[in-house]
Amino acid sequence: MNAPVRLDLRDASTFPTRRVEDWKWSDLKRFLRDAPAVSAALAVAPGGPFAALGGREIAFGNGVTADGAAEARFEGAGTLRLRFVSEAQATGHQARATVVVPARAELLVLESYEGAGSAYASNVTLGFELGEGARLTRIVLLEEPDDAISVSAAEVKVAPHAHYTQTVLASGAKLQRHETRVNHPGHGASVRLDGLYVLSGSRHADLTTVVDHQGVEGVTSQLTKGVVADSARGVFQGRIVVDRGADKTDARMGHHALILSDKAEVDAKPELEIYADDVSCAHGNTVGALDENALFYACARGIPEHEARVMLTQAFLGEVTDRIEHDGAREAAQAWLVDRLEALL
Amino acid sequence: MSVSQETIETVAGLEKYKHGFVTDIEQEFAPKGLNADIVRFISEKKGEPEWMLEWRLAAFERWQAMEEPTWAKVEYTPVDYQDLHYYAAPRTKAKPKSLDEIDPEILATYEKLGIPLKEQMVLAGVEGAPKYAVDAVFDSVSVVTTFREELAKSGVIFMSMSEALREHGDLVRQYLGSVVPVSDNYFAALNSAVFSDGSFVYIPPGVRCPMELSTYFRINAENTGQFERTLIIADKGSYVSYLEGCTAPMRDENQLHAAVVELVALEDAEIKYSTVQNWWPGDPVTGKGGIYNFVTKRADCRGDRSKVSWTQVETGSAVTWKYPSCILKGEGSVGEFYSIAITNGRQQADTGTKMIHLGANTRSRIIAKGVSAGKSVSTYRGLVSAHPKAKGARNFTQCDSLLIGKDCAAHTVPYVEARNGSAQFEHEATTTRLSEDQLFYAMQRGLSQEEAVQLLVNGFVREVLQELPMEFAVEAQKLVAISLEGSVG
Repeated sequence: MNAPVRLDLRDASTFPTRRVEDWKWSDLKRFLRDAPAVSAALAVAPGGPFAALGGREIAFGNGVTADGAAEARFEGAGTLRLRFVSEAQATGHQARATVVVPARAELLVLESYEGAGSAYASNVTLGFELGEGARLTRIVLLEEPDDAISVSAAEVKVAPHAHYTQTVLASGAKLQRHETRVNHPGHGASVRLDGLYVLSGSRHADLTTVVDHQGVEGVTSQLTKGVVADSARGVFQGRIVVDRGADKTDARMGHHALILSDKAEVDAKPELEIYADDVSCAHGNTVGALDENALFYACARGIPEHEARVMLTQAFLGEVTDRIEHDGAREAAQAWLVDRLEALL
Repeated sequence: MSVSQETIETVAGLEKYKHGFVTDIEQEFAPKGLNADIVRFISEKKGEPEWMLEWRLAAFERWQAMEEPTWAKVEYTPVDYQDLHYYAAPRTKAKPKSLDEIDPEILATYEKLGIPLKEQMVLAGVEGAPKYAVDAVFDSVSVVTTFREELAKSGVIFMSMSEALREHGDLVRQYLGSVVPVSDNYFAALNSAVFSDGSFVYIPPGVRCPMELSTYFRINAENTGQFERTLIIADKGSYVSYLEGCTAPMRDENQLHAAVVELVALEDAEIKYSTVQNWWPGDPVTGKGGIYNFVTKRADCRGDRSKVSWTQVETGSAVTWKYPSCILKGEGSVGEFYSIAITNGRQQADTGTKMIHLGANTRSRIIAKGVSAGKSVSTYRGLVSAHPKAKGARNFTQCDSLLIGKDCAAHTVPYVEARNGSAQFEHEATTTRLSEDQLFYAMQRGLSQEEAVQLLVNGFVREVLQELPMEFAVEAQKLVAISLEGSVG
């Protein structure tokens, strides 16, 4: 397994190029040649896109918390709103957070990337640890300016019988990379990694996941969908690894994308790396235009074409948001999708 | 004969790698090592025109500046490029005029391999049995090409590359390196510098090649690399089906096979290229020996509505590293790739295809079946890409992997790059093991475990076997069975 790139904005030699296999469609070095100056600290008012869902809030403003730390740690249950707020001009900042869910506890993490300003570079490193039988639902919302560079990488350690569920909602940036690496112990643990990208202009979003099945009877289910318009570029890289002896693993991965313009691009690499024989693994990948037949049918029923397009696209992408179990989080995600699609179509 | 019956009979006659013998003939070698002088030596041996020598020397220079790639999921002892013979040929006094002048040992070799070199053998066969012309390549040189006269009647040129360089120099010059450029990759550059022989095929406009063409490659000599170069040109509206078979003796050291195959399909032309690759895979227990099969195969669908179909059955070689690809340039051109890769023992295979959609309404289809057993590793790696101009491009890909045993591995690494709004790409992949239920059912019907496995595997790969020409399909099916021997229990 390729070692993940340890990105450090202070050191340009850690910036991957497209020659690094895992970054071949997200050439960071191309957009960021040198280490940027460090952003000034930013005071963040409580709130954010998930404010209505309550819970505890940890907010970083340009990489630092209210008490000036570049690192935060949370251990507990309930709801955590983890906010990474950027407001800078051509500077860079990075933050680090660790979230621990004790055994049998249940936590909802609402993670938001709220960007203002322009041409900043943000790098977030996260660690999630789930105790035995713990449940963690993570909703990630990426809303950043179209000239920003944003990288977020998470390492997730799951214990037996724990459930980890994640949904990423990405609207892209100049380069936006969201990476999740999961250590999957099997033994009744389950992992779900979903993603959604809605991209316009010349935005780029890269959803990368790696799930490493290390024990028997692990379940993984992945569904990523996206739509790209104008000259935007969507990237999906998913890798499912089944280690030797990790028998009875059941892993499914799906990536489906719509391309709305002849200048837009979708790149996908759904990988399976299997070292055990008693497994059931599958992936599916489709890329294409909106189904003309469905569109024709809707129009024939008297629905105006524009409305029909919105409706069909929403139905296509809505499958991902529908999978969110938490009511409040699902509604917020659905509302975001509707807004984004209206702006796009 | 039904598939199952054939399988059972094959199983009954199971044997180890039956092509592992060595033919004892007088051979001529180039000294070991690689330098510009060796390149000159090869060129001179073949009596090549000056431009060809320059082309080779330029390639050699490029190769020296290149680094051996390492990105494939294969591990192998590095090749010592200075410890190889780059030219080995059966010693002949003059160009043989007929089969009788060829060393009977060589003929016997091909006979043992089951290749009907003698045209009369084919002609004397069952009435209506298909004829096929054979070009037999022994180490570095082509020893015989059959049926040439009959082919010439319809204007088809089928000869060894070295003859083609002499007789059809302009045609070769026009197309050689136009699909796989000299500097395409490390092994292609090496091949361009030192290739010794291979087949050359030209099908004139509107001609449907009257018989299957085939080449049999045989590595015999010790410490040699085989670097053959095949070039097939299907002119407007023509059709050709080409088969390729490969075997090698059992030896303890690894041998390098770095071929380049270039196909050019002009308007409305169709090329069907089938390979049954059965190089010596090395010792199944120690992994010692075996062929490194590092081959570059690419087709250029230049003309509108042209079509190229690759079918491969990969059962041999210690390490296989190849991606027969299609560049779909012509409008409405079609590329197909059907593959069976079976690995057992300590074999490693990293194989797949590239479908590069450049023209409008181009279509491609990929069916790849991988079977891993023993301690082997099998990887499907493929690329499907559509350029902004490839409006209406379509691809369907299916890759299935079957795992037999606890110690093998199977990987799927597909790359999809869609760059326009009207391309439709679909990809599915599955990895599973042999179904316990099916196995139980087959055994309950009286088959042994090994027979049952072979039956099920033959069923698993059937979609691809069906794409093979008849003669090869039968052989391939036997190979499937032999390759899996010892994989259960």
